[in-house]
Amino acid sequence: MSENHLAIANIPIQPWGKLYSEADALNIGTIFQDLNKPFFAADAVLESKSPLVSGNEEKSQAQLEREQLMTKINELGFFLDDLTLYLDTHEKDTQAMQLYHEKSQEFAGLRKQFAQDYYPLSRLCIPDGMHENEANFCWLEGPMPWEGACV
Amino acid sequence: MWIYEKRLQYPVKITKTCPTSARLIISQYGGPDGELSASMRYLSQRYTMPIKEVGGLLTDIGTEELAHMEIICAMVYQLTKNLTIEQAKEAGFDAYYIDHTTALWPQAAASVPFTSLEFQSKGDAITDLTEDLAAEQKARTVYDNLLRMIPDPEIQEPLKFLRAREVVHFQRFGEALEKTKDRLDSKNFYYFNPEFDKAMFQGKK
Repeated sequence: MSENHLAIANIPIQPWGKLYSEADALNIGTIFQDLNKPFFAADAVLESKSPLVSGNEEKSQAQLEREQLMTKINELGFFLDDLTLYLDTHEKDTQAMQLYHEKSQEFAGLRKQFAQDYYPLSRLCIPDGMHENEANFCWLEGPMPWEGACV
Repeated sequence: MWIYEKRLQYPVKITKTCPTSARLIISQYGGPDGELSASMRYLSQRYTMPIKEVGGLLTDIGTEELAHMEIICAMVYQLTKNLTIEQAKEAGFDAYYIDHTTALWPQAAASVPFTSLEFQSKGDAITDLTEDLAAEQKARTVYDNLLRMIPDPEIQEPLKFLRAREVVHFQRFGEALEKTKDRLDSKNFYYFNPEFDKAMFQGKK
C-alpha cells in the first residue's frame, strides 16, 4: 500500500535495512536500526552489559562458561523473535528468510548443547538432556528463570 | 498449545530490595496498559481475524507479551523477595503485603485489580488493529514514566528493552492494518465489517 487515505490510520511498510549485532539487538530491544527510537531519559547504550555477566570476578570457570552459553542463547533467541514478527508481515522477503534459516539452525544447535551440558530449556529439549537410568527427571534441573541467575 | 522455555526473553538480575519501585512496576503486570492486558487482548482478538497472517501476528505478539509479563513479574519478585516489615511500612508496601505477602498478584500501581475491562476484542479487524496500535503507545508511555521515575540501571535495562518492543509491535500492527486495508475497497473501508460480513469480504456479494 503506497497511497494514504482519509479517516484511517496509515503506517508505511518497513523496508529491509541495517541490523544490529545479536548482542546489541538484545540490549536495545530490536534487531532493526530503523526501529530504535530511545527515550531521552534513558538513552539506548550500545556497549554490551547483560545483567547475567555482571560480577564475573567471583564466579567459577564452569559457571562463567554456562552463563556465556545462556547469554548467546538469549541473544540469538531474541534475534529470531524480532525476525519472526518481521516475517509475519513480510512473508515473501527472501533476505529475511535466508537470515532466519541460518540463525535458527545455530539456535537449535546451542539449545541442544545447553541440554546436553546442563539442563533442557524446554520440554522439546528433553530428548537431548535425558539419559537412561537417571535418578532425577532432568526437566526439574536448573534454576527458575525469575531467580535472576543461571546456575 | 504453548511450550514453556525456562529462560527470560531479557535477563533480570536486581540485587537490591526496593518495594517503592516494585509498587510502580507492578502496573505493567496487572495495570490498564500492562503486559497481561496486552497478551489477553491479542490472544482474544485473533480467532475471528479475517486474514490468516494477521491472526498469526496476533498469536506471536500475544505470546511475546506473556514473556514480557514474566520479565515484569521477575522484576517485582526480585525487588521484594528479601523484604522486611520495616521496609514494607516505609515504602507504603504494607497494604499490598497484608493481602498478598510478597506473592505476585496482577494490579495497577494505584492498587486497581486486573480486569478484562482494560482491553477490547471488538470483532472488527480495523477497530481491533487500531486498538492494538493505541495499546502499544499506551504501554510505551507507561515505560517512559517508569524510566523517568526510576534511575537505577539494574531496573532501567529491562524497562528500556520492554519499551523498545512496544515501538516494534506498533510498526507490525500498522503493517497488519495495511494488509487488511489492501483487501478492502479504499473508497470506503467501512462499507462492511470484514470480520462479520464474510461473504462480502470474500467478494461473493
